[in-house]
Amino acid sequence: MNGRTITHAQLAALVADLVAAGTAVTAPARAADGRLDYRPVTRLEDAVLGDGLPRLSLKALFLPPTEPLFAFRLSGSDVAIDSVPTSFPPHVVLGAVPCDAAGVQALDKVMGWDYRDELWFGRREATTIVSVGCSSRDETCFCGATGGGPTATRGADLLLVPLEGGFAVEIVTSKGEALVTAHEERFGPAPNEADVARSRAALAGSRVEPVAPLAPVTTWLAEHFEDPLWADVALRCHGCGACASVCPTCHCFDIVDEPEGVTHGTRRRNWDTCQAGRFTLHASGHNPRADQHARFRQRLMHKFSIYPARFGELLCTGCGRCSRACPGGMDLPEVLRTIAERAATAGGAA
Amino acid sequence: MNLYEPYLARVTDLVDETPDTRTLRLAFQEPELARTFDFKAGQFGEYTAFGAGECTFCIASSPTRQGYIECSFKTVGKATTALRSLNVGDTMGFRGPYGNHFPLGKMEGSSLVFIAGGIGLAPVRSVIWNALDLRDRFRDVTIVYGARSVSDLVYKRELAEWAARPDVTLRQTVDPGGETPGWTGDVGLVPAIVEKAAPSAADAYAIVCGPPVMIKYTLPVLTKLGFAADRIYTTLENRMKCGIGKCGRCNIGPVYVCKDGPVFTAEEMAKLPQEF
Repeated sequence: MNGRTITHAQLAALVADLVAAGTAVTAPARAADGRLDYRPVTRLEDAVLGDGLPRLSLKALFLPPTEPLFAFRLSGSDVAIDSVPTSFPPHVVLGAVPCDAAGVQALDKVMGWDYRDELWFGRREATTIVSVGCSSRDETCFCGATGGGPTATRGADLLLVPLEGGFAVEIVTSKGEALVTAHEERFGPAPNEADVARSRAALAGSRVEPVAPLAPVTTWLAEHFEDPLWADVALRCHGCGACASVCPTCHCFDIVDEPEGVTHGTRRRNWDTCQAGRFTLHASGHNPRADQHARFRQRLMHKFSIYPARFGELLCTGCGRCSRACPGGMDLPEVLRTIAERAATAGGAA
Repeated sequence: MNLYEPYLARVTDLVDETPDTRTLRLAFQEPELARTFDFKAGQFGEYTAFGAGECTFCIASSPTRQGYIECSFKTVGKATTALRSLNVGDTMGFRGPYGNHFPLGKMEGSSLVFIAGGIGLAPVRSVIWNALDLRDRFRDVTIVYGARSVSDLVYKRELAEWAARPDVTLRQTVDPGGETPGWTGDVGLVPAIVEKAAPSAADAYAIVCGPPVMIKYTLPVLTKLGFAADRIYTTLENRMKCGIGKCGRCNIGPVYVCKDGPVFTAEEMAKLPQEF
């Protein structure tokens, strides 16, 4: 392992150093009501490392639920545009759950193909993501099926693996290395490999068994846009979009003008969801996705067929938040299992 | 560069095509951009009425006419109502050009058959003028255009111009009941008039745009006339926000209309899921 170690005391000092230098630090932290979310922290004691999945993913740090794209001022026949910055101050995420870090990396593809979204990449470049090995498995997690796992490094710049009294630090990217180099005195020597291996094995014990092999699911989806399954599985979908809200990879957005009086205003980008009926509604009244099952199909297709076909990776990291959030009790792993069974049956028949 | 920031443009002309359809001509305010802006027929953009929002329209003017672009739109919602309220001299916004285009270069040396219904003439008009401005590069040019009624025909002055040209065959039609006492064109739905006009498919390309139902019934007629599916082009419209493959709104199955389209061949359309 390419790495270092860091004790809890050193990590606390590192957080203090960063905060003192004006670098924002975000970590999973509990609010007064006990809910765990990624929040700004100023000291290590407030961070909850490797012990629970934050309610919302890391997505909001890079694609805020609402953000200004620019402001405009109207004066007679003239308009002036006030730009928003596309470069951002340095930011460290400490204790990212591996499935959340993976989600951010998955989104780099859509944000960067052909047209480069500078608001996304401005934040990406300013941010160093330090993941921590995850031990917070529950029955809705399925990261293993999406290529992730409790110590997966996709999307992370550094990965912390718990050791007695601190962590082993795996350096994943040059950005991660730069953080270590800049704070050299806060890091210890390379860890004992056997200790790291033991810790990884313990975390892997919490590794979620793949819900289903996803390659056949992807193949099945590409061939079954029309299928009675859709109307059936989507019956419980209310179209509320809670799944998209909590999802680390759902990135659909709306663009709206918010006038403030008649002389000025702001154009904003807001989270949106393909689960909403008006998402695809044309001005003419025509709606290509008129039924909820067509909308549910779109979400599933986008994650497991469209995105892989276009960008070579799944648009799902198996965090399981959609299943936890759904008021209708829909369960993505259950749907994937159903599709995998059909794929297997179809394969057997052929 | 923030992708979502529009260019500023001034309205330099406006034409009411029908009681509810208007064409705006706009010129970019930044002189360097006004001089260098380029696009290809079939591409689209996001047009801003500041304070109301953006609308997705094709660029309805021809790339051969430089120094301005035009859009034609029906007033149906908040943003189109705001765009309609703009006067000559007012400022609007534009992002683009986005998407693919009609492969006019590939069509050089061939005959062109343009078929449009209603406001669907807007993207086709861009190609028509593009081809007519380079008239010697193409063989026969046939235009079949229809609308619900005479008052719903857009670009009336240009229709008169095309009708008067000896190097253009124009068939205009209105739906039964949509004719006026002085109407000299055809009466009937576009697919039927295409069948009657029977343009030769020999070394020809068809460019079709209009309401989905018109396209649906026109394609079999073209097939019957001998047009191969890869020589029939159309342009799809879907609701869009970003126009650049990010916002996730315009997908038809695996296709991003904003990036893979908006121009598709009938052959490509046949492979798409029926969700548009």
